[in-house]
Amino acid sequence: MAGFQKQCSVKDNLLSMNQRTNEQWLADLRAKGDMRDAALSDLRALILRSLPYALSGKLNPNSPEFESLAEEVAQETLLKVLEHLDTFEGRSLFTTWVHKIAVRQALGELRRRRWRDVPLPEMEMNDDSDIMPRELADEQPSPEIMAERNDVMMRIQRIISEELTEKQRLALMSVVMQEMPLEEVAQKMGTNRNAMYKLMHDTRLRLKRRMEAEGMFPDEILAVFAKSVG
Amino acid sequence: MNLFRKIKQLFSWQQPPTRSAGMAMQAANPKMAQKILGMLEKTQEEELTCDEVFALLDQFAEMTARGENVSELMPLVELHLEICGDCREEYESLMNVIQHPA
Ligand SMILES: [Zn+2]
Repeated sequence: MAGFQKQCSVKDNLLSMNQRTNEQWLADLRAKGDMRDAALSDLRALILRSLPYALSGKLNPNSPEFESLAEEVAQETLLKVLEHLDTFEGRSLFTTWVHKIAVRQALGELRRRRWRDVPLPEMEMNDDSDIMPRELADEQPSPEIMAERNDVMMRIQRIISEELTEKQRLALMSVVMQEMPLEEVAQKMGTNRNAMYKLMHDTRLRLKRRMEAEGMFPDEILAVFAKSVG
Repeated sequence: MNLFRKIKQLFSWQQPPTRSAGMAMQAANPKMAQKILGMLEKTQEEELTCDEVFALLDQFAEMTARGENVSELMPLVELHLEICGDCREEYESLMNVIQHPA
């Protein structure tokens, strides 16, 4: 009898989970007691089921690392969902909104683990005198193209060193050269991702404006580099 | 005397694999110059920040999944996703999730 009841309640849970509207999710999560607990437990199950898809190609769902990550992500996501419940505007399914938060938690945690021990690149501005352009070994562009490119690269270098602050250069080097995630660079530089995006946006605008003032237009110059392939 | 050889020498100079290589040195690599230029080509005066994009991401993902023309409806979100690796990665993961309903 108890077993039968349990089966029924599992079935009911599944039904209610699939059939909850946005309004029902919100009402249940704002309720007290059993209603809220049931909604939280459904949400938790939903997050855990979606994580293998969220992390597909990044983390094997059968690895021990996945398991520890999943628990942490589910927990943190539920806390965030409850904390920001009032900001949900109903522009998507409630569950999509929850998945969005879970995805950010999961990828954030994964990035932290992957990049934790990688330091920011050291910044040492070299004298212009010992800068030498180099080509990739497997490329053999004509001397004319090499000279043209050389000129462009020297000019970009000069603009970078004249136009950007040290912070901007460090950010540019970390994000573009080292391909570090914005979030990790932000954390290591003692700020947050949003501020780091703004800093990078300012950096790009400064470079672009200065280049254009000097008659260099990125789309035109790119063509000089595209020629190399031929 | 042999200018061509001299230029060739200049370009085949290999940077030693030191981590203290400065920014200037890095920009002298054609791949890096290309990357910077590509980034500048996309740069607009007005761009959304990561937080602004995150606020719209669930809606944007559902619109994409429904096949709506997001380039026209939410061009600034699309531009941000082209520029920002972190947000792009999150968007792709979210798409994976909502296209495989649990
Ligand atoms: Zn972003």
